[in-house]
Amino acid sequence: MTKPLICVPGQRLCILDKTHESGQGTYERQGYIYSSLAGVVDVVDKDGVKVVEVQSTGEQTLVPTQGDIVTAQVTILTQDFCKCVIKCIGNTVLSRTYRGILRREDVCATDKDRVQIYKSYRPGDVILARVLPITEAHTYNLSTAENELGVVIAHSEHGYPMVPISWTQMQCTKMYTKELRKVAKVVPENMNTKT
Amino acid sequence: MLTTKIFIRKNRAGNFLKNIREHYLRDDIHCGISNCHDCPPNSNISPATHENKCSLYNFNHYLVLDTNVILHQMDLLEEDAMCNVIILNTVLEEVKHRNLPIYKRLNNIMENTDRNFYLFPNNFHIECYIAQDKLEVINDYNDRCIRRACTWYMQHVPDAKFVLLTDDVANRQLAAEENIYCCSVENYVAHLENCGSLQDKLAHHDGHSISKSDDIFPPHLTTLEIHKGIKENKLYQGVYHASRDNFLEGYVVVEESDGTPMQIIVQGRVGQNRAVQGDVVAVELFNVKEWTAPSDLVFEDEGLVESGVDEVLRKEAELNVGKGKKEAEDRKPTGRVVGVIRRKWRQYCGILQQDGDASGLYQLFVPAEKRVPKIRIQTRQGVFLRTQKIVVTIDLWPRHSRYPEGHFVRALGAIGDQATENEVVLLEHEVPHNQFSEQVLKCLPKLPWIITDADVEARVDLRDIDICSVDPPGCTDIDDALHCRPLTKDTFEVGVHIADVSHFIRPGTALDVEAANRATTVYLVNKRIDMVPELLSSNLCSLRGGEERFAFSCIWEIDKNAKILNVRCHKSIIRSRKAMTYEEAQITIDDKTKNDSIAISLRNLNMLAKILKRKRLENGALVLASPEVKIHMDSETMEPLDVEVKKLFETNSMVEEFMLLANISVAEIILEAFPDCAMLRRHPEPPVSNFDPLIKVGKNLGFDIKVDTGKHLAESLDEAVNANNPYINTMLRILATRCMMQAVYFPSGIYEKSNFFHYGLAVPLYTHFTSPIRRYADIIVHRLLAVTVGSDATYPDLLDKQKSKLLCNNLNYRNRMAQYAGRASVAFNTHLFFRNKVQDEEGYILCIRKNAVQILIPRYGLECTLYLAEKGQSSAYFQYDVEEQTQKCGDITLHAFDPVTVRLSLDSSNVQHEKFVLKLVHPYIEGFSLPPLNVPSKRKGDSKNKNKSHEKRKKQLH
Amino acid sequence: MSRKELLSKIGLRQDGRRAEELRRIRCKLGVFTQPDGSAYLEQGLTKVLAAVYGPHQVRGGRSKAQHDAAIINCQFSMAVFSTGERKKRPRGDRKSTEISIHLHQALLAAVKVELYPWSQIDVYVEVLHADGGVFPACVNAATLALIDAGIPLKEYVCACTASLANNNVAMVDISNQEETLGGPVLTVVALPMSAKIVHMEMSQRFHLDHLPKVLNLALQGCKDIKAILDDVVRQHVKDIGSSTGWSQTNRKQ
Repeated sequence: MTKPLICVPGQRLCILDKTHESGQGTYERQGYIYSSLAGVVDVVDKDGVKVVEVQSTGEQTLVPTQGDIVTAQVTILTQDFCKCVIKCIGNTVLSRTYRGILRREDVCATDKDRVQIYKSYRPGDVILARVLPITEAHTYNLSTAENELGVVIAHSEHGYPMVPISWTQMQCTKMYTKELRKVAKVVPENMNTKT
Repeated sequence: MLTTKIFIRKNRAGNFLKNIREHYLRDDIHCGISNCHDCPPNSNISPATHENKCSLYNFNHYLVLDTNVILHQMDLLEEDAMCNVIILNTVLEEVKHRNLPIYKRLNNIMENTDRNFYLFPNNFHIECYIAQDKLEVINDYNDRCIRRACTWYMQHVPDAKFVLLTDDVANRQLAAEENIYCCSVENYVAHLENCGSLQDKLAHHDGHSISKSDDIFPPHLTTLEIHKGIKENKLYQGVYHASRDNFLEGYVVVEESDGTPMQIIVQGRVGQNRAVQGDVVAVELFNVKEWTAPSDLVFEDEGLVESGVDEVLRKEAELNVGKGKKEAEDRKPTGRVVGVIRRKWRQYCGILQQDGDASGLYQLFVPAEKRVPKIRIQTRQGVFLRTQKIVVTIDLWPRHSRYPEGHFVRALGAIGDQATENEVVLLEHEVPHNQFSEQVLKCLPKLPWIITDADVEARVDLRDIDICSVDPPGCTDIDDALHCRPLTKDTFEVGVHIADVSHFIRPGTALDVEAANRATTVYLVNKRIDMVPELLSSNLCSLRGGEERFAFSCIWEIDKNAKILNVRCHKSIIRSRKAMTYEEAQITIDDKTKNDSIAISLRNLNMLAKILKRKRLENGALVLASPEVKIHMDSETMEPLDVEVKKLFETNSMVEEFMLLANISVAEIILEAFPDCAMLRRHPEPPVSNFDPLIKVGKNLGFDIKVDTGKHLAESLDEAVNANNPYINTMLRILATRCMMQAVYFPSGIYEKSNFFHYGLAVPLYTHFTSPIRRYADIIVHRLLAVTVGSDATYPDLLDKQKSKLLCNNLNYRNRMAQYAGRASVAFNTHLFFRNKVQDEEGYILCIRKNAVQILIPRYGLECTLYLAEKGQSSAYFQYDVEEQTQKCGDITLHAFDPVTVRLSLDSSNVQHEKFVLKLVHPYIEGFSLPPLNVPSKRKGDSKNKNKSHEKRKKQLH
Repeated sequence: MSRKELLSKIGLRQDGRRAEELRRIRCKLGVFTQPDGSAYLEQGLTKVLAAVYGPHQVRGGRSKAQHDAAIINCQFSMAVFSTGERKKRPRGDRKSTEISIHLHQALLAAVKVELYPWSQIDVYVEVLHADGGVFPACVNAATLALIDAGIPLKEYVCACTASLANNNVAMVDISNQEETLGGPVLTVVALPMSAKIVHMEMSQRFHLDHLPKVLNLALQGCKDIKAILDDVVRQHVKDIGSSTGWSQTNRKQ
């Protein structure tokens, strides 16, 4: 393993040209790529273009941005929306959670008028959701209006894990009772790369 | 460099305040020895060329001094014989803490590279620093630091030798244990080559008393006790002033708890307890019962070197005899000095007492200042020094010694010699009068000085205007010139052109610093001590006739009623057509046949000046008078030939008027541009009580002198005219002058605008602009004005309010001293003139005292006392009337302002204090007055062969 | 009274430094576990702790949030024991509010706030001991804490003071003793790498002629401080990286 190249904020990394691109943890200024973090330089080859990235050594502080897939846990249900807590952004587990809100019209892509929140989610459900454009400061708007989004982990009324049995139903592994959910089609591959 | 520092904390506790400070130790400090191999090369270290030769040590060596040696033996250290000295920073800081003047003198020595004094910052040196132990006294700690530095040096430069000079026996012992060469100063100096004169300069702090007699003086309280006493209001703190007439009496000016000042009388040996004029002392106030009145006895200290305390005791007894008789109402607060808080000892001029053994080791020094006690010194050149005026300083005053003990500093010259007397006058008034240093002279422009095109570009060319200057005869530093030309039928253009000194003296240069320190040119009777070198003062800046010079011009448009229509200022080039004297100018004006442009402009100027003056007086400006005299000197023997009152022409007032106008105009301009730091001059209104003597005299003469405003005062002075005695008005004005406050410079930022007022001139704003060659304040004003008109840039100190304030303090101090020095010089030369002469002169009674009358002799500007009786006794002939302020003898009554004739002679019995003796001639009183001299005194000496040295003495009030 | 000279004839200051020398600076990153980033910094005897939380959602009034950038919330406070005299120092007094605002201004210039819209970064600095140059020490400590938190910065933001000794000589990094002895203190916050001045403040006036040299010395001080911080940060990265076998950094996301 080669010795990692340590850089600090403001350090000039390389010239910005056709073969070099500014990646995560870097920024461009006057034709050069500079580091914006203290960490280790990482060059990723992507379609013949070298993307220069800086990996911070410490925990990454991330904020959900529009389009991010987040993992959230549902906390409160109402007629019109459910509130949830965002626990992960992509693959990164957050040290501190963010508040998110999922509106009734954003639950499903189709039949928006007939969606009922309590038939889609229950408190405690762990869901995958996409961050919508941010309009309000204090919460993030989420959407599950895609096949791949929705409930991934849920427990039945009796407290046992459930498994999906259709797009809209899950079944308790112990009591075999069925409950209504907006179920996600879990994609085994890395979802980040897909978006 | 940063990483090599080691970090040590210094804790300072006290008052529940914790102070922690960093103290960085360094390894990059040069040891200061030029051939040291271990230290990094440093170009600032010059090799030691001097060799210290002391027979105690058979090798060259470096000296290390301890704090007390520096504090006590400064006069010795200032001698060039002391070289190759290492001053440790710990020592320097203690010196600074304990005695600032000594610290400054030490710095001066260190700046002289020939002396090879090196300041070694031992407390920042990594290897020389030692921490203070918990229980260690600061003195011991400092001594330990010094020894540590010595041992370090010995180890650091093994081939050099170091000698520690200290008078502390314990320290010497400890040093010897560490194998440091050490020695007492006295011992060291005694073994130096050519030590004779050096030994005289040694201060003896171990008390070189001749008799181990009993203590004469009570002990002083310790500092702690004094502080406690003052805090508890048991003691008072104040400045001690000795009486001029009675060496056994003095008073201390203290502040009562409510802030009102109070004088406490201290009498006798116990009361004065070794306080010396100017010392800050602690006094204890007696019970009211023990209070006494100031004695009116005159006691002169007649003591000899060997004499003990007997004489003092006898005189003290005499003093006490008087006490009981004093009436209760005369009694004043009385007390005794119990401790000295701060000594204000300085160097004193004077002579050795002439009686006694001239070759003795101990000699008694008699200071010229009567308030300072005699000082006993040790010298080996007594015979020679008895012919000299010398300077001596006090070292200490032990309890068992009748006199303070001091040492000889230097000789000024033969007694009675004029050069010596000048030197004394300059020294006593702290006038800097050394030659200008090389550094200063380097700042001067090179000759031949030519005006470049760039100069012409930057200035307004006024060379085609007919400008002339009017000054006293013999004046070589001409700093003002005038012109006037008609613009229209009713308006004139009037210009005042002032020498552009600030062009040559750039801020921050050595020349500037020197001039700022000197502050003013000092005029003695036969000597001028220039503020700036002669090349500038008498040549390049002087607006000489027919030569092209740089000037700062202030130009007004004035209508024929002397109303100012506008004013502008700029730098210019002028060529004065003629440098005239006041007399010449007056003749030109009066001579109706002359009609050239100069004559016409002078006439116009004169006409305008009269109107300006009238307007000014209407506004309430005061016309004051002081008897000023001019002494004619023989140019070869430098002896005064004649003394006369200065003649004044109309042209004097003409020039003065325009200078005032220029000053006022400039003051307005600079204040507007620099509200915070304009250099102005204010003349505060005197408190009404100052005028009491004037009002009293006025009342006795039947005049009502109003003093509530300057205008009223001016008016009532104008009205106080007695047809029979025209001189009365002048006398009143002389008295009024004495009631005034001193006018002072100040930066505008430190006072409210209402305080800018100039009382004497009755103008709201005033400054000095017109004499930059001889006053530093004017240079500052020039610089400010130059910035205002855009021909120069500012510099930091010019705009710094605090710095300006300090500068003003110095200017004010120097001005006052210059004035006093001038007067002292006139007085000395008047004395010289009257030596061996006896003359009858006319005079006027200025005021009446219980046993004497003050008489003013206008012809010589002299003010003398005619004693009617011995001091303290009532006269056998005269009766004193307190109410009427008269002295009566039979049918003759002496009032204030009465004309009298007196016989004038000089009493030279006291070499240092010659004084005039007056005897009454007219009115004739049998048994008291003298018959007139047969040969009436005649003015000697005509105008030829006169060195009119007394060039310029404008009234300082302006 | 004789005033102490700020700079002696031989060019040493009261504490033994030369005019252009900084005090000793010692600092450490990641001193706390709770915040996202933290740092401790000693500049001479001035000691400052800084902690950074965030970026996170905006708390409190929603009006503060910005749609295109993160907001930086700074809070400055001094410990009761931080000066010679023990004194209760309520939060939000005039002085600390002022310093908070200045700190905010200083950090805003360096933090790439545009990466975090609708979010907030909290910076808390606490002065443990004040011995002159409190504000610069806070800026420097906050920079370190931000780096520790992994918040992208354009570059270091450093601050330094400079003053004028004997009304003539510029000197850098003013201690409390020198502050109280008088002399105008110029505080400069700069981005030393691109030589940009972010913030400048003066305690007293001095003549314009002196400004260039004082300013230059202060900027040089900022650069020197940057070099010191740089060393510490690199060492810190190395320490963490080698202790975790560079595992975290090499992990692809």
